[in-house]
Amino acid sequence: MNTSNKYGLRDGPPVRASDALVNEAHPELGIASKLLGIFPSSLANYLIALTAIFSINFILPRLMPGDPLQAIYGQEALVVMSDEVEAQIIRQFSLDKSWWDQMLAYVLGLLQGDLGFSYYYREQVFHVILGALPWTLLLTGLALVLATAIGLVLGIESGYARGSNLDRSLVAGLMFLGGFPDFFIGILLLLIFAVSLQVLPISGAASPYAGHEGLAHIVDVLKHLALPLSSMILVRLGGIFLLTRNTIVTLLGESFILTARAKGCQERRIKYAHAGRNGLLPVATATGLRIPQLFTGALFIEIVFSYPGVGSLLNTAIDARDYPLIQGILLIVTLTVLTANFLVDLLYSRLDPRVRYAH
Amino acid sequence: MHIDALGELYQDPLARAGAIMLVIIAGLAIFAPLISGYSPHDYTGKIFSPPDIDHPLGTDSVGQDIWARLLFGARTSLLVALSVALISSSLSVIVGASAALAGGLYESFCMRIIDAMISLPTIIVMILVASYLRPSLPLLILLISLFSWPGGARIIRSQVLSLKQRMHINAARTFGAGKGHIIFTHIIPDLSPIICALMMQDARRAVFMEAGLAFLGISDPTVISWGKMMNQALAFTYLDVWQWWLVPIGLALSATLIGISFLSFSLETAMDPRLRREESMGAARLT
Repeated sequence: MNTSNKYGLRDGPPVRASDALVNEAHPELGIASKLLGIFPSSLANYLIALTAIFSINFILPRLMPGDPLQAIYGQEALVVMSDEVEAQIIRQFSLDKSWWDQMLAYVLGLLQGDLGFSYYYREQVFHVILGALPWTLLLTGLALVLATAIGLVLGIESGYARGSNLDRSLVAGLMFLGGFPDFFIGILLLLIFAVSLQVLPISGAASPYAGHEGLAHIVDVLKHLALPLSSMILVRLGGIFLLTRNTIVTLLGESFILTARAKGCQERRIKYAHAGRNGLLPVATATGLRIPQLFTGALFIEIVFSYPGVGSLLNTAIDARDYPLIQGILLIVTLTVLTANFLVDLLYSRLDPRVRYAH
Repeated sequence: MHIDALGELYQDPLARAGAIMLVIIAGLAIFAPLISGYSPHDYTGKIFSPPDIDHPLGTDSVGQDIWARLLFGARTSLLVALSVALISSSLSVIVGASAALAGGLYESFCMRIIDAMISLPTIIVMILVASYLRPSLPLLILLISLFSWPGGARIIRSQVLSLKQRMHINAARTFGAGKGHIIFTHIIPDLSPIICALMMQDARRAVFMEAGLAFLGISDPTVISWGKMMNQALAFTYLDVWQWWLVPIGLALSATLIGISFLSFSLETAMDPRLRREESMGAARLT
C-alpha cells in the first residue's frame, strides 16, 4: 500500500480479505534488503524461515523423552542397528558431547549435503530424495503453469462478461470444485477413470518393465501423469479464477479502460492487453503465496495415485517411522518452496514497475 | 463505512446454502448415537457387507458399521474446526492488534515472525512435528492453531492500523477517551466481521488438516477420523466397497469444507465494497 500511495497512484487491486495481506508491503525495509538492493525485501523472511526449519529439525528429536539416538533414528531402526553403526552415529552427531557441539556437527553435516542415513532404504537420505524430487517437480510445475494459464483466461473472460450465463456458471462451478479437498478430487478421478472406466493407469509414473523407448515412453509418462495432474489443476483453478475475475471486475471501472474504449481498441486487446495485464499482478502474488499449498497438495495427490514423488516417499517414511528421511524431505521441500517464492518475488518486480522503483 | 456485513449474510443465498449444509452436518454429529443403531467401535459380525436396512452404508474391512463411523467422524471434524477457529483467531487478534497499537520494535519483531511463518510450508512442518509427537486430539488442535494464526494476525494488524486513523476514533480521542475505551467500544466491534471471516478460514483449514494428517496415518488411534477412514478404504479400490465406504465419507468431508467455504466467500464479498456493486450476482452464485 505504501508503494502506491508514495507515488500518488491508486491502490493495487486486492480483492478478497485473504489477499489484503498481499497488498501491504513491508513498511520497514530490512537491513538485508537495503544491502542487497536488487533483491526483494522478503529475502530476510526466507532466511528466518529456513533457520526456523533447521532449528525444528535439530531441537525436536533432542526434546523427545529418552535417548536422542532413539529419537533421531526411531526405535525400529535401533533394533536392526549393530553396535558399531550405533557408535559411528553417536560420533558423527557428537551425541555424547554438549548441545553446542551437537549443533556444530549438525550444521557442518548439512553444509556438506549430509541429511543423514535412511535406514528403510539403506541409502543416504539425500540420494533417496533426489530420486523422487524430479517427479514431484514435474507434477507441481505443470500444475502451476496450466492452472494459472487456464484460470487467467477463464477469469478474464468471466470478469469481462460479468453477470452473463457463462460468468455465473463458471463462478458457481469452480467455487464448488475448489471446496473439495485435493485428495478427494484425486480419489474421485481415480475411481472414475482408472477403476470404473479403466482408461487410464491406476498408479505409478511409468509402466514398469515395459521397456518403452522415445515417444512411446513419453506417451506412457503423460498417461500416468494425466490423472494426478488434472486433479491438481481442478483444485487450484478455482482460486486463480476467482481472483482474476474479481480483479477484472474492479478494473473495468477504471479510466484507462474507458480511454482504451474511446480510442477504439479492439475488444480482445482491451480484455487481454489492458485489463488482463493489470490482472496479472494480484495473480502473481497469490500464486507465490500459494506455492506451499501447491506442494502439500502434490504430496496428497501423489499418495492417492502412488506417484513415485516426494509425497509417496513421505508416506513410506511416516509408515516406517524413518525419521531422518522425514526430516530430509521437510528440509528439501522447504528449500524448494522458499526458492520458488523468491523467484515469484523477482518476477513480481518485473511485472509491476512500481515495486521495482520503490526500493 | 459501517457495513453490516454479518447482517447481510441472511440475505445471501450462498451463505444460506452453506449454513444449511453445516447445520445438517452439525445435527448429524450431535445426535449421532440416536441416529445410528451401532456403536462405531463395535464388531458387527459381517465384513464388507453391502448397504442394507440394518447398515445403511454397509460394513468395513474390520466389520464396523460405516454409517455410525461417518456420524461420529463428523464430531471429530467439527470439534477440531470449532476449537482451532477459536484459539487461532484469538492468537491472531492478540498479536495483530497489539502489534498495531504498540508499534515500534515490538511491531517489527511480530511482523518478522509472522512473515517468516507465512513463508513456511505449514502442513509439512506440522507433519514432521506430528510424526514425532503422535499427538492426541487436544494436542493436535493446539498444534494446528499454533501454525494457523500468522496470516490472520497480519490482516488484523493492517485493519487496526487503518482503524486507528478513522474519523470516529479521532473524535473519540478528542473527547478524552482512554485507550481501553477506544479498543473495546470502537476497534473490536469494527473488527468483528473480519474476525468472523478469519475464524471460518481457520475452521476450514483445520478440518482439512485434521483429515489430511489422518489420511497420512498421523492421528490418535482412539479417535474416529474421516481422513483415517478414507486412507483405510483407499486400499480396497479393487472391490466394490468404495461405493459405500470411500465415496460417502469423502462427500461428507467435502460438504463440510464447501459449507464453510460458501459462508466465508459470502462474508468476504459482503465486506468488500468494490464487489458489492454487483448485487445481481448474489442470486446467481447458488445455481
